[in-house]
Amino acid sequence: MCAGNRYTSVFMTSVTVRIAGANGDGIESSGALLNKIASRNGLHVYAYRGYQSIIRGGHLWYQVRIADTPISSYGETIDILIALNQDAIENQKSHLSKDAIVIYDPSKVNADSLPQNIKRLPMPLLDIAIQQAGDPVMRNTAALGAVLKLIGLDISLFDDIIRKTFGRKGEKVVSANINTAQAGYNYQGIEKKYSLKGDGKVRAVLDGNTALAIGAYAADCKMYFAYPMTPASSILHWFAAHEDKGVVFKQTEDEIAAINMTVGAASAGVRAMCGTSGGGFSLMVEGLGMAGMIEAPIVVVESQRAGPSTGLPTKTSQADLMFVLHASQGEFPRIVVAPRSVEECFTVAADAFNLAERYQCPVIILLDQVISESFETIEDIDLSKVKIDRGKIETQASTSVGRFARYAITDDGVSPRSIPGTPGLEFVAATDEHDEYGDLVSDMYAGIDKYVEIRERMYEKRMKKLDTMLKNETVFVPEVSNASAKHFIVCYGSTTGPAKEAVDMLNAEGKDFGLISFSYLWPIDAEKTKHMLEGKHIIDVEGSYNAQLAQLIRMTTGIEIKEKVRKWNGEPFYAEEIYRKVKEIVDA
Amino acid sequence: MATQTTQVKQIYTSGVKPVWCPGCGDYGVQVAILKAITELSLDKSSTLLVSGIGCSSAMPHVFSTYGIHSIHGRVLPVATGAKFANDDLTVIGTTGDGDAYGIGVAHLIHAARRNIDITYIVMNNQIYGLTTGQASPTSLVGAKTKSTPFGDIEEPVNPIALAISSGATFVARGFSGDPAHLAELIKQGIVHKGFALIDVFSPCVTFNTLNTYDWFRQRIYKLDATHDASNLASAFDKATEAERSNWAKIPIGIFYNIDKPTYSELDVALKKGSTIKQPQHTKEQVQELIDENK
Repeated sequence: MCAGNRYTSVFMTSVTVRIAGANGDGIESSGALLNKIASRNGLHVYAYRGYQSIIRGGHLWYQVRIADTPISSYGETIDILIALNQDAIENQKSHLSKDAIVIYDPSKVNADSLPQNIKRLPMPLLDIAIQQAGDPVMRNTAALGAVLKLIGLDISLFDDIIRKTFGRKGEKVVSANINTAQAGYNYQGIEKKYSLKGDGKVRAVLDGNTALAIGAYAADCKMYFAYPMTPASSILHWFAAHEDKGVVFKQTEDEIAAINMTVGAASAGVRAMCGTSGGGFSLMVEGLGMAGMIEAPIVVVESQRAGPSTGLPTKTSQADLMFVLHASQGEFPRIVVAPRSVEECFTVAADAFNLAERYQCPVIILLDQVISESFETIEDIDLSKVKIDRGKIETQASTSVGRFARYAITDDGVSPRSIPGTPGLEFVAATDEHDEYGDLVSDMYAGIDKYVEIRERMYEKRMKKLDTMLKNETVFVPEVSNASAKHFIVCYGSTTGPAKEAVDMLNAEGKDFGLISFSYLWPIDAEKTKHMLEGKHIIDVEGSYNAQLAQLIRMTTGIEIKEKVRKWNGEPFYAEEIYRKVKEIVDA
Repeated sequence: MATQTTQVKQIYTSGVKPVWCPGCGDYGVQVAILKAITELSLDKSSTLLVSGIGCSSAMPHVFSTYGIHSIHGRVLPVATGAKFANDDLTVIGTTGDGDAYGIGVAHLIHAARRNIDITYIVMNNQIYGLTTGQASPTSLVGAKTKSTPFGDIEEPVNPIALAISSGATFVARGFSGDPAHLAELIKQGIVHKGFALIDVFSPCVTFNTLNTYDWFRQRIYKLDATHDASNLASAFDKATEAERSNWAKIPIGIFYNIDKPTYSELDVALKKGSTIKQPQHTKEQVQELIDENK
């Protein structure tokens, strides 16, 4: 039960704050403020929010874990709870750590049901809010002030952030916020409980979707097409809000339109992306196949949520892996990559367009609700490393050759493409099977030798790109840490963060653990991956019932992973939970 | 004259022969498109023909412009994406009634209301030809097809009225049996700034034994100067005349034609000009966007 606490006391000081209440309580903005204040204090943050759960009145919470060393998961137990209503007490009490503090307003909330060991911090939040700001919604700001005191954060930094955040709303709003927080900070009897030592470096705090959007922007992605769907919608919001910064965003009538517009834009020479969750991706599947067949370089984001069908719209899952690997009829090269951290959302997106254009194929970025909507402090990104490689583009018509052979057979399977508008290089991109010029062979096929041969060669040409990528790129093997360890956790995407912390916890107890984590999931360099996994004791940790990563590993390497920690209830993995379950397995 | 025609074909045609049946209405449409783009002297490298799936969707292959022969029903999103990428392209959709009014009908409504500057030529033969003769969304009530052997019981889609009510700014109808008249409509549709739908009666001589060239010739008449195409009520009046007359009188020509800003003229990003010509995002801009989150 208290593994998390033991862990945090051994390695670092980390404090987990959860603000819970109802929609309209300002929880989201309080959480975002706390993220920024912690970051301004030179600390590391990992934040996650739970929303629209099944409790009446719309229960909402925002959890910020703050630490003085890098962290990669959001913490299983709550150290400080701000309970803005009774539901917050009742829903959250089972998640409290054994010496947790609960801040609440006794005029609104009854704390009797809390376990005896929980420290109660009753505060007249409503009175403070009304006195200082004349607005009851500022209750959360008063509580936030108290939290800053408890965890020893510099409140003077609060002023600057408030000015930046609310400055446009005028001095009155700014001073109301500052005064309310100050009153909460100074409230009688609150003492600093934790000592978090910042390193003086101010880091950006981003959620995965925002990091991905900025990464795409850095890659000179100029267009984003999407239909709103949780948990991918905030990518859309980012692009919509930045249309004045040189990106086109179009909200489409459905996801079918979104992917087909992306194909149209990419075919016309502009870097373009579409994004959705599993349900919308289901509608995109036929368009994905078109991109495969006409060799259009598109980037598709699929942020997994808990299915099947509508499932749990605001909850997470890793169960779409096999779906994205196999989506669409027929066979064609594709690249599938699942970023393992918020920072990797940036770097993966920044490179996805290069891969798409280098190999003229769709690249699917597989996120999930946790990584899409979790906030992390990230280190400075070295933007000089972001390179743009547009692949083989023909710009000059040859004088000696007649028609342009857009789909010319080449050694590496990649044929130089031309961009509409370029004189002399006209061609038709066709979804029917076609020859090197793009002329259809499908209608004449009927088993005629000449066309049978063309079909074989064109198919091989496209598929050859997979070999080329495996030969030329280094990313298609998982990353291994503690390579000589006795046991390994294998995971992909967002599970990597908590798995990494679980490995640290296990090793602190003398268990000899390493981590094998996949970001690129397709293609897989089967030989190297097999070599890496062979002979090791491996435990698979992933968010699907069928253990789809284990299936993929077996499919590509022949290695069967017998021990698995699976989760499919929609909740993210906690580091402590992985630690417990993996420990059970190795201790058995 | 003959010499000139040969020369025209060298410029705009690819030499690829369409696989349509002898007598197919789509040949007339091909002639009309060729005439229209020739007379407009379009730059072939800046012209993009986008088609879907179906007999008529072979159209881009017979021309020497750029083309995308896409998937069933998705002509308009593909065309929209390309137009957004490069506003300097003349983008023309060429497809059939199953594609445009069946599987892809949602896109028609939205492309129309957005007033995307593309020309959408729909070869309407009121039948699914490539799949050997099933009912289409524009098959008439009673039509006996392979999928309606006891007669079609559904009301046909009225593409003209649908496009007008969806906000299209240029809505016309032609007949492939009169390519000269059709070419004129296509020319005006291309020149028109905004979304232009040109529905074309393009008879299927193999599977549609009801709506034949003769059937149309007996019924169609050309809208003339007495029709005010800028008037919405008059446009609807003419758009519903065929139905109201129980298909005794079918007007062709321009039903509706108004001037309105296009999507690209209004959109914050697109109004700056062709996306493909916009400067590459700089490292400074990227850094600024990251720093927004500090």
